[in-house]
Amino acid sequence: MDFEQLYNQYSPQIFRVCMGYINDPEQAKDLTQETFISVWRNLDTFRNESKISTWIFRIATNNCLRAIEKNSRVTKVELPFYLPDIPEETQEGKLTFLYNCIAELEEIDRIIISLMLEDLPQAEIAGIVGLSHGNIRTKVHRIKEKLAIKFKEHGQFE
Amino acid sequence: MDNLNDLKAIWLTAKTDSLPDSHEMVQIVRKFRNKKLLKITALVIAAIVLVAIMIWVVFVYKSTMLSTRLGEAFIIIAGIILIATNLNSLLRFYKLKECSNKEFIQFLEQTRLRQQFYYRRTQVVAMLFCATGLLVYLYEGVHKNSTLFIASYATTIVYLIVLWFIVRPRVFKKEERKINEQIEKLHNISKQINE
Repeated sequence: MDFEQLYNQYSPQIFRVCMGYINDPEQAKDLTQETFISVWRNLDTFRNESKISTWIFRIATNNCLRAIEKNSRVTKVELPFYLPDIPEETQEGKLTFLYNCIAELEEIDRIIISLMLEDLPQAEIAGIVGLSHGNIRTKVHRIKEKLAIKFKEHGQFE
Repeated sequence: MDNLNDLKAIWLTAKTDSLPDSHEMVQIVRKFRNKKLLKITALVIAAIVLVAIMIWVVFVYKSTMLSTRLGEAFIIIAGIILIATNLNSLLRFYKLKECSNKEFIQFLEQTRLRQQFYYRRTQVVAMLFCATGLLVYLYEGVHKNSTLFIASYATTIVYLIVLWFIVRPRVFKKEERKINEQIEKLHNISKQINE
């Protein structure tokens, strides 16, 4: 598969995963670009030991984890206890609310839920994070619980 | 939360049209240069040039005093320490291939610990060799002329004092704080993976 094809196919997914991790569109865009710079440089040495999607998501999520070196702070917006209904009525409002809830999770949980929302199979997520399938299943269950509590607290998505 | 599909639907509404198209992306990757790796490469090249010059001096300038030979040897040792350490850290990044988040966090933790060791130990040893080398190397050239002797040693000593007691502690403090913060964050992420 050539670079441009890979970019067209995966860049929207990578951007969304980076956005889920960092909750800032500009930084997510930078992380997406950094990911594809690595893809470009290492495409020749890709050994097909894993699926190409696993390889690209690994690069992207490792880049996200590396963002701590640049002192990038995840944009966490303090959510008020009672949220008015109006802002979340729109798709954009709902998406912002979802990003803010994810931003309150820990780093690895943010990566796992973002990959889940991208519809990646749990076995592939396990390969990206470096955990067993069983561990990922447990973590996914816990993340769902954490998110459910957050949604419940803020009276959303019931 | 049994409505994961609703969340997926919301998730997919994120606008991605601000991303560059594939042609623009190809231009971006072609122009890209990794500044951090370039900095280390420049340091390695500078150290190699320093060592090469010193070796050339050893063969061209036939000194009669042991202090000069000792000075040359010390400066060469300092250069070799710099080359070996930085070349090693460069190679670690080039050797790093496909790895999971868990392996990557371990790699970063190890890198930060190595960096901490570099600032605390390796850099001190290299600077000690270089400073001592410079002080003893100068002696042969200036010991016959007392004015030149005082001027050269005063300048060198003031320079070394500024470097050791003002510049280095400032840089060290800043770097040390940054590295410690990063080690703590990485340790925290590592704990999340392993719990």
